[in-house]
Amino acid sequence: MSVLSAAIHGTAAFPLDVSLRAEPGITVVFGPSGSGKSTLMRAILGAIRPSAGRIALGERVLFDSERGIDVPLRHRRVGIVFQDAEPFPHMDARRNVAFGVRSGDRARRADSWLARVGASALAARRGAVLSGGERQRIALARALAAEPEALLLDEPLSGLELASREQVGALLRTLRREARIPFVLVTHDPREALRLGDRLVYLERGRVVAEGTPAELLAPGGAAAHAAGSTNWLRATVIEIRSDEARVDLGGTVVVTGPLPAPPGTIVDLALPAEEPILARGEVAGVSARNSLPGIVSSLTEREGVVSVIVATPVPLRIHVTPESARELGLAPGVKVIVLVKATAFRP
Amino acid sequence: MIAAALSLSVQVAIVATILVTIAGTLTGRALARRAFRGREVVDTLLTLPLVLPPTVTGYALLVLLGRSGLGLPIPFTWVACVVAAAVMSFPLMHRAARVAFEELDPRHTLTAASLGATRLRSFFAVELPLARRGLAAGIALSFARGLGEFGATLLLAGNIPGRTQTLPLAVYEASLTGDDRAALLLCLLLTGVSIAVLLLVARIGRSR
Repeated sequence: MSVLSAAIHGTAAFPLDVSLRAEPGITVVFGPSGSGKSTLMRAILGAIRPSAGRIALGERVLFDSERGIDVPLRHRRVGIVFQDAEPFPHMDARRNVAFGVRSGDRARRADSWLARVGASALAARRGAVLSGGERQRIALARALAAEPEALLLDEPLSGLELASREQVGALLRTLRREARIPFVLVTHDPREALRLGDRLVYLERGRVVAEGTPAELLAPGGAAAHAAGSTNWLRATVIEIRSDEARVDLGGTVVVTGPLPAPPGTIVDLALPAEEPILARGEVAGVSARNSLPGIVSSLTEREGVVSVIVATPVPLRIHVTPESARELGLAPGVKVIVLVKATAFRP
Repeated sequence: MIAAALSLSVQVAIVATILVTIAGTLTGRALARRAFRGREVVDTLLTLPLVLPPTVTGYALLVLLGRSGLGLPIPFTWVACVVAAAVMSFPLMHRAARVAFEELDPRHTLTAASLGATRLRSFFAVELPLARRGLAAGIALSFARGLGEFGATLLLAGNIPGRTQTLPLAVYEASLTGDDRAALLLCLLLTGVSIAVLLLVARIGRSR
């Protein structure tokens, strides 16, 4: 089991000062644009040279400024899937995947990898004519067929439509389980981080600000929450699917949502804008909202004429109200409230 | 006269184009891929034959290669025609190659390297095929330019019928000696070839 460790202090392009440890599984490097995520990724890949630091993969030292070690990119065995992962457009999918196969019958190995990513039917298709999700599958197969000891992923789901996002997300979770190597996923998309990450490293201005699980760091009030904006990013397990509704578990709070394109047992990510829920001091009868969640106010912050209330349901939810509403309801930490949320407010 | 000039011109243009394709691809790629101090100065020097009067280039080559320079037995030979055509068409290939490699997504070469490809393999299996359209256009333009080379050829290779008299030089001679039929025929021939090359370039550019 190889572990990737990287301590990087400065690069010519960006004042990075980061120490990162990624075990097998998906480590998400999360941060706003300009936080140094891409620079970090390129340094691990070997495309840029840090001013100082050390990068090691298992027993192998890839870079060590003190000992003057700088293993060239092609010997690092670090795979990469860039954003909008372009297979080589002049080759068909099979040749793309075969490109990095190190030994044996290359075409057969390529075919078996295409099968593993569910892209067997695309073997003879050229890179230039594939859809976003198809490209992502081919690029994943191509990277893994070269037997890397770590895999870097650059916002793998960001360019995809909803249906492909679900499929490629599920594929990534499967591959991560089977590959047993560290996957380092770089993204500024909280949804991607939440859906795919086992661990999250939060980067801001080139420094690690917080580390933990994606759910805890991205939850309202969590260390990375402000980067996620005013939206509640929720990771949910599907419990039951009915024709026009679904029931999901947010991790202690069960809610009703609109229809979801996922069978029971799967993990989906949902967005709940903070402006959507309604707060009440007691039970309200005769409303259309399908969710009526009892909770306790854990914090209030007022900024620019909006009060941001965090309610533990017990899953924390961020809810925006006006200062007048907050005063009239007498909201304060410890106050019991009811959170009313329409099923359709949870966006897949 | 026409047959000999045509045959010489085509041979010269082919050999010059082969040399220019290799040299221009390498210089174009080097300048596209590496940022170094003085890059644009180098680029300017490589592009110079495009803007200098061909006679200046031809005279410079004559001085450089001839008795007062390197003393090579090249001036006024078949090789001189090739040298003149190659030097004059080189900037077109160099520029086309530079643009072609600059437009190439650098992530493809990074990916190729991450998959264990050597630089040579990455160049031949990824970069060249991806840059092929720009390179092909450069090759076609270089060929047309080499075929039509006049000024530098006249100074470096002279105008020896059957030995260094290329098509454009034959046109020059035919017009001087009042052989209007031959001049017209040669003009039509060269115009036809040029149109064919331009159409080819346009087609390469369109086929994406």
